[in-house]
Amino acid sequence: MTVTFPQKGLPWLLLLPQLAVTAIFFLWPAEQALEQAFYQEDAFGLSREFVGLDNFMDLFTDPLYYQSMLTTLVFSFSVAIGGMAVALLLAVMADRIIRGKLAYQTLLIWPYAVAPALAGVLWWILFDPSMGPIALWLDNIGINWNHYLDGNQAMILVVIAATWKQISYNFLFFLAGLQAVPRSLIEAAAIDGASPFKRFWTIVFPLLSPTTFFLLVVNLVYAFFETFGVIDATTKGGPGQSTTTLVYKVFDDGFVGLDLGGSAAQSVVLMGIVGLMTVIQFRYIERKVQYS
Amino acid sequence: MTDVILEKVGKTYPNGYHAIPSVDLSIEEGEFIVLVGPSGCGKSTLLRMVAGLESISTGELRIRGERMNDKEPAERDIAMVFQNYALYPHMTVYNNMAYGLKNRGVPKDKIEEKVTDVAQMLGLTELLLRRPGQLSGGQRQRVAMGRAMVRDPKVFLFDEPLSNLDAKLRVQMRVEIRQLQRKLATTTLYVTHDQVEAMTLADRLVVLNKGKAEQIGTPMELYNTPATPFVAAFIGSPSMNLIEATLGDKGIELPDGLILPMEVSHAHRGAIVWGIRPEHLVVVSEQEADFALNVQAVESLGAETLIHGVVGREPMVVRLSGPHLPEINSTLWLSAPKQHWHLFDANTQQRLSL
Repeated sequence: MTVTFPQKGLPWLLLLPQLAVTAIFFLWPAEQALEQAFYQEDAFGLSREFVGLDNFMDLFTDPLYYQSMLTTLVFSFSVAIGGMAVALLLAVMADRIIRGKLAYQTLLIWPYAVAPALAGVLWWILFDPSMGPIALWLDNIGINWNHYLDGNQAMILVVIAATWKQISYNFLFFLAGLQAVPRSLIEAAAIDGASPFKRFWTIVFPLLSPTTFFLLVVNLVYAFFETFGVIDATTKGGPGQSTTTLVYKVFDDGFVGLDLGGSAAQSVVLMGIVGLMTVIQFRYIERKVQYS
Repeated sequence: MTDVILEKVGKTYPNGYHAIPSVDLSIEEGEFIVLVGPSGCGKSTLLRMVAGLESISTGELRIRGERMNDKEPAERDIAMVFQNYALYPHMTVYNNMAYGLKNRGVPKDKIEEKVTDVAQMLGLTELLLRRPGQLSGGQRQRVAMGRAMVRDPKVFLFDEPLSNLDAKLRVQMRVEIRQLQRKLATTTLYVTHDQVEAMTLADRLVVLNKGKAEQIGTPMELYNTPATPFVAAFIGSPSMNLIEATLGDKGIELPDGLILPMEVSHAHRGAIVWGIRPEHLVVVSEQEADFALNVQAVESLGAETLIHGVVGREPMVVRLSGPHLPEINSTLWLSAPKQHWHLFDANTQQRLSL
């Protein structure tokens, strides 16, 4: 349906609030970052000098940057795949139970309401090498846990903290997806001699693939861009660079290291990545696999 | 040889709902049995109990002499066609049909041979590489049947398979299902709420009402000698005219004082239900008439005409062959030949002999 307005002004007036928000909070900072990426500024912000592509050159010749990219990929895929696997398992179980279904589902959704920094602090306490219950238990079974010293353990910690928060979200979508699978298909498969395990992998899981793909993209975006709080509250990117993701590095270099130009250049690269992911999302998710 | 036996089979749900009190039925090999009844009568539940998709609360189900109550659906050697076809949407037609054979570990070349054969029989050869989403309703229906047929099961179960098709296709598929079943001679249990489908397909019909088998018999047995007013009303279209009346010494006393004279030989007296089918009423002259019908509405179907009216205050339908156009509110003199009467005890709801 198309609505036509008699005057030219009214549509613009109606669009104005949204346009203003977009301009002030998205376009202007983006433009600032883009501009800053071509300047070198002193630490106090008093003077700056146009340096062309120098910031980008520095960035792409810096092995630490590639290290951070690798860290981000490992972190993101671990969070996305781990979170989805656990959520799917929980959703399958929630779909089966009859008694106390509502309570179970509600409890599983709660973690989503916890702020990222709080989630980080929660896991930071649980895994604290000197007093965290999980760390102490790990010590008891012979695993020496200290994520302040061990980069791999630090990575495991941030992955767990970031995943935990996302499980609720994935769970909701998987549960809805499971409930949309017609019962008669499962029954037909049962008559066709498929075991429950086989029914899941040959019928249910393929039918969930639109949901799975959607969640994969959403989770990757989450792990890429929205886990700053979790990392800052648990490891602060350390030890060394072992949990410094690209987004954390923007903050670390810009506001801790005060290399504003380099930080802006990284932001521009991230903007490119976001753009790419948006294209993927629109191209594939908008016309997701349709079953009738 | 008796193929499928239901012995006092009953179903009670965990919440205490008594869906099916007790049904007895024995099905001969190759027989086509139709379970028919209004919605909520338990016909689908009964079918699903045979399939193993619902547990059997009481009684026993035997297929070829083997007790099936606790067997998984896959172990019962049955195949089912669902109302919504339940085709696997992400698989091609070929894989839909092959799925059951693959799960049973049938070798690949055997599967291909079997699927190709069945596809040819059903005219699906061209469609083997398509997905269900790309098929029409009738084609999906055929694939669902093909999927049931490739396994050569002992029993076919159909759960209202034609109700999603348009009227023309439904008639066509009905004939096809009957022909296929004859050719394969596979014992079949078919659920429908459509009495025309039931009459045309069945070797024997089971009319279910509130989880009870009201009557089991051939279509003609049910048409000619319905055991209860429920069966009488359910079988036949338009349904039988049923009037609550009293059996007195002079004959049948209809409401409004009208008496249909009859020699009353048996002892039963009192409240009865008197019935006659619309097609058995005859238009006669005023002198020969048993009663007068006040015409209220006329449905002209060309080959036949249905005339709706009232006798006294009782609604009645007359079915005449060929076109007729009586005026609304005119009077039609009718005779109800005695050999076509149906009498039922109003209290026990059982058929009374004339």
